[in-house]
Amino acid sequence: MFKLTRLVTLADPAGLEPLAEAVCALATSHMAYRSLVAPTLPGSHFGGDLLVHCAFDGAAERDAFGAALSPLLAGSAIASVDGVDYQGSPDGKHDPDLASGVYRVLLLSIDEGCDAETIARFEAETRMMPHYIPAIRNWQLSQADRAVGERRWTHVWEQEYAGVEGLRGPYMLHPYHWARIDRWFDPECPERIVDARLCHSFCALETSVL
Amino acid sequence: MATGERRIIQAIDEIVAKPGEGKALLDDYLARYAPGARARGMVLEQVLVSPPMWLDDQSNTLSFRWSIADTGGWWQMRFVGGNDPEVIAWWAEADARAVSRRRFFAAEPVDIEGLCHV
Repeated sequence: MFKLTRLVTLADPAGLEPLAEAVCALATSHMAYRSLVAPTLPGSHFGGDLLVHCAFDGAAERDAFGAALSPLLAGSAIASVDGVDYQGSPDGKHDPDLASGVYRVLLLSIDEGCDAETIARFEAETRMMPHYIPAIRNWQLSQADRAVGERRWTHVWEQEYAGVEGLRGPYMLHPYHWARIDRWFDPECPERIVDARLCHSFCALETSVL
Repeated sequence: MATGERRIIQAIDEIVAKPGEGKALLDDYLARYAPGARARGMVLEQVLVSPPMWLDDQSNTLSFRWSIADTGGWWQMRFVGGNDPEVIAWWAEADARAVSRRRFFAAEPVDIEGLCHV
């Protein structure tokens, strides 16, 4: 599956609904395999006003959609866009029929020059989060093929929850997160490899997109 | 306090100083890092030096054990410290004076149930 995610911040939030409608129509016309276009929820951090997440059968289809999307996300009505193009295969599904949940995405940038073995350890440990934190119902960790925005985003960490309380509660509070995984992010820890600037964004989800 | 109610977190800094740097690095940690850490809610519980003498041609290992009241306090400490340029600059300087360093988080067994009940 070839995916594209954009976190769009508008200069004027009043433009959100017409933009969302235009993006949805574009995704439909480009035969998106799955798409999620929704306003972000309060608590997102550098997460934009509108979350756009679309999946396609091939890279060419994804890239054609991305090219058609770019003009919609340019101009004075748009304050900023962060995003990634990536290829993902589902890492895990505890609840493939999840409905009326929450989709969350984290864009992160690993330092240039970080060795492959260390990155592999970070990825393996991150993929174990759902083992210890069952509130993560479906998940996928992917490397970015292309990034746009404030950083050279290297990874996309996507999760789905039954509700926002799963993200704000178990995900944030479980020791596997703060006492194990966070050392890759914490500037006070010598193991840190992830840039402090992150995009943390989440929105309501009708049906699973992972 | 019943089992599962305590959620005390221990933050441990373990620094292997460059040969001859142990005493000076300890003094700087206590004078320059510790006050800010206390302001972020951390309580310094214990300081250990190994071996228990100041070496001038080999490394001393310095261990600092802090306590944090609970997970909310941990995130408070993390967000404030992690976004403070002076803290980041301190660690860059300390790392230059160390052979190696570890920071890890732990708990007494009695606190595990409470910390994992999320």
